[in-house]
Amino acid sequence: MTPSQNVILIDDEADLLKALRRLLKAEGFQVTCHQSAADFLAAPRPSGPGCIVLDESMPGMTGMELQRELVAEGSSLAIIFLTARGDIPMSVRAMKAGAVDFLTKPVKDKNLISTIHTALKKSLDLQALKKERDNIRQRFETLTDREREVLQNVVKGLPNKQIAALLGLVEQTIKVHRSRVMAKMRADSLAQLVLLSERLGITGQQSEAI
Amino acid sequence: MDWVVIVWTGATSASLMLAAIHFFVWMRNRAALASLMFCLMAACTAGMAGCELAMMRVVNVDQLGPILQWYNIFRWGVTLALLGFMHFYLRAGRMWLELTVIGLRTFALLLNLLVSPNAYYSSIEGLSRIIFLGKPVTVVEGVPNPLMLVGQVSLLVLAACLVDTSWKAYSAGAYNRALRVGTSSVFFVLALSLQTMLVLWGVIEVPIMASLFFLGIVGVMAFELSEDMLRATRLADNLQQREIDLRRERKLTDSIFQGAPGLLYLQSRDGTILRWNKRPANPSEVVPTKIHDFFRSDDQHALGEFLEKTFAEGSANFELDLLHPNGSATRHFFSTVRIEIGEEPHLIGVGIDVSAEHALSLELDLQKERLARVSQIASMSELSSSLAHEINQPLAIILSNAEAAQRQLERETPNHNELREILKDIVTADIRAADVIRRLRSILNRGQPDLAIVSPTELLNSVLQILKTEIHSSGAIVSRKIPKRLPTLMADRIPVEQVLINLMKNALEAMHENGTRGKSLVLSCVSEANGIRFSVRDNGCGLPESADWIFEAFHTTKPNGLGLGLKICNTIIQAHGGRLWAENNKGRGACFHFHIPLRPDSP
Repeated sequence: MTPSQNVILIDDEADLLKALRRLLKAEGFQVTCHQSAADFLAAPRPSGPGCIVLDESMPGMTGMELQRELVAEGSSLAIIFLTARGDIPMSVRAMKAGAVDFLTKPVKDKNLISTIHTALKKSLDLQALKKERDNIRQRFETLTDREREVLQNVVKGLPNKQIAALLGLVEQTIKVHRSRVMAKMRADSLAQLVLLSERLGITGQQSEAI
Repeated sequence: MDWVVIVWTGATSASLMLAAIHFFVWMRNRAALASLMFCLMAACTAGMAGCELAMMRVVNVDQLGPILQWYNIFRWGVTLALLGFMHFYLRAGRMWLELTVIGLRTFALLLNLLVSPNAYYSSIEGLSRIIFLGKPVTVVEGVPNPLMLVGQVSLLVLAACLVDTSWKAYSAGAYNRALRVGTSSVFFVLALSLQTMLVLWGVIEVPIMASLFFLGIVGVMAFELSEDMLRATRLADNLQQREIDLRRERKLTDSIFQGAPGLLYLQSRDGTILRWNKRPANPSEVVPTKIHDFFRSDDQHALGEFLEKTFAEGSANFELDLLHPNGSATRHFFSTVRIEIGEEPHLIGVGIDVSAEHALSLELDLQKERLARVSQIASMSELSSSLAHEINQPLAIILSNAEAAQRQLERETPNHNELREILKDIVTADIRAADVIRRLRSILNRGQPDLAIVSPTELLNSVLQILKTEIHSSGAIVSRKIPKRLPTLMADRIPVEQVLINLMKNALEAMHENGTRGKSLVLSCVSEANGIRFSVRDNGCGLPESADWIFEAFHTTKPNGLGLGLKICNTIIQAHGGRLWAENNKGRGACFHFHIPLRPDSP
């Protein structure tokens, strides 16, 4: 029993919450229950990885709406839908938006538990990814505006000379900026710099600042 | 030339001629008593003229006696005939006055016949010859008899009677004839009376010429009667013209009747057909005599009501099957109006064949019914899918609880309290599932409503029980306004519960965005005209501006709704003979009401 086995149940059906909580607790999960999306949003989030077993049709904010919100805030909680009335378009939408699975009630314990395990693993990955991205972002944030401009042009694959012409500077200055960027981003090579940039969402095609 | 002979024989023959003419008139028409009287009068006048002529020619007194007797009889006759003529011709007169005249005249006649030599003269001295109209004529010389006054008085009473009769006729409107006949007869009677007195008292020396005065009256009367005849001829002419017009009119109505499209008929109050525009194709066919023969026996009651309505209100429109002689029937539209023919109420009816339209409308009804069935099936599928959702909830609860229990039992020391709790929850969920199935079955069997006595209070309580979790999780405050005493309903309990559930779920959803304002749901129930009104009031977002469509199928404001919930509710309430409607509150939110009659058959 690791402390990172957080399972959050969100369903408007109190009796079902009770039953699932019993089952999952018996499996050794750390279970929290909420009767609505609003309740969940108001409550403190668990630290570490976790997954949400989410009912789709609830009074108030629906499961889909909550999922959209969590994706938007970049949460690392993995979502499993558990619904009594699900159709194919709904499940497709949910999966596209990053749900781990779309289960229908009543669900067999083995199915649910194995899905929860998958979800927790995914949450862990998400968390690692998020941590790394946060790290890279912190580094990126130390760059000056000029350095960011240089970085964007470098990852586009432009030679220093051209960048200097573009920014109205001499080539020597670009070289200085470039080495500072490499140092601040802790990149050993140009390839690594491009990779880090991609993680941040800066790609060669995009010239817009983030 | 003997003028006396000419005048008196002329008078005699003219009178006889007139008498003969009117005798024949009377023979042809026995009711023409005026003609009979005229005939008698003219005949008596002729007799008088003859007697007078004879008197003028007597040579000795002995010859005078029988002539005078006849003369008096004729005078009596002429007076009575005059009276009779006036009576019958003017159709007026006082009986007692007439009887008095008759009595006096008869008395005078009897006096003349009984008294010797007569009532005119106490004694006859002799005969004298005087020159009259250039020729010598005989006149009687004698002492006037005071008894002759009886005759004169009777003449005066006669004149009075004539005046009275004429006046009455004049007042009754027969101005011209009363004036002419009255004045002339009174004039001649008075003139006669005067002349007789003057002669008898020897003031003037002329022979007695009463017949000429009566001839005057006869002349006026003959003129009157010929006027009447002329008028009658003119009337006959008019009548003939009228008859021609009438025939033409009749032909016109006939052709209108015959040419009228559809059925056109005229009937009397009791339903007898006086005219109609269909001639039977062959003579052996039974011609309907009563309007009722046109219709089937099942339709007679309805027909009677329509006829009554027409006679009472003046007109009616209705549709019935019209029977044909060959036994077939076609749908006809009838329009009937009441008309008065000689103060008697009659009825004119027009029937137009609308069998094609009728068939079309039947077809349309059928289509509507089909559509309704399709929509009902759609409703059912919507309903069953929502119920399937509801049944999956308790099944999920049961399954997860059971699996949790299995895990407990796998432990070395199972937690018995926990197990007891789990089993209790399983039972609760199971009951809930069974209830859903019962509900589903009841709705699928919704062909024959399963009517039972339902208490409105219990109905609301059971709905609140079913929706307990929903209400709890929504955080809404539910208040109930239920009077202590409410009559019970005859209703199909589960569908009506379903309506309340739907309305309350809608209300809870509508209040979802209320936030700090709080959610308030008011359930109320009032007893009103023959039924009970249930109301579900919320303080949510309210209804859209034009919310007429909310009860129609496939209209929805919900992203996942099929738009059948309210449609189904409406169908259920209508099946109970009730009504479902909605309105926005004055403040926030909306209120849904439905009225259900206490008994389905008493709307």
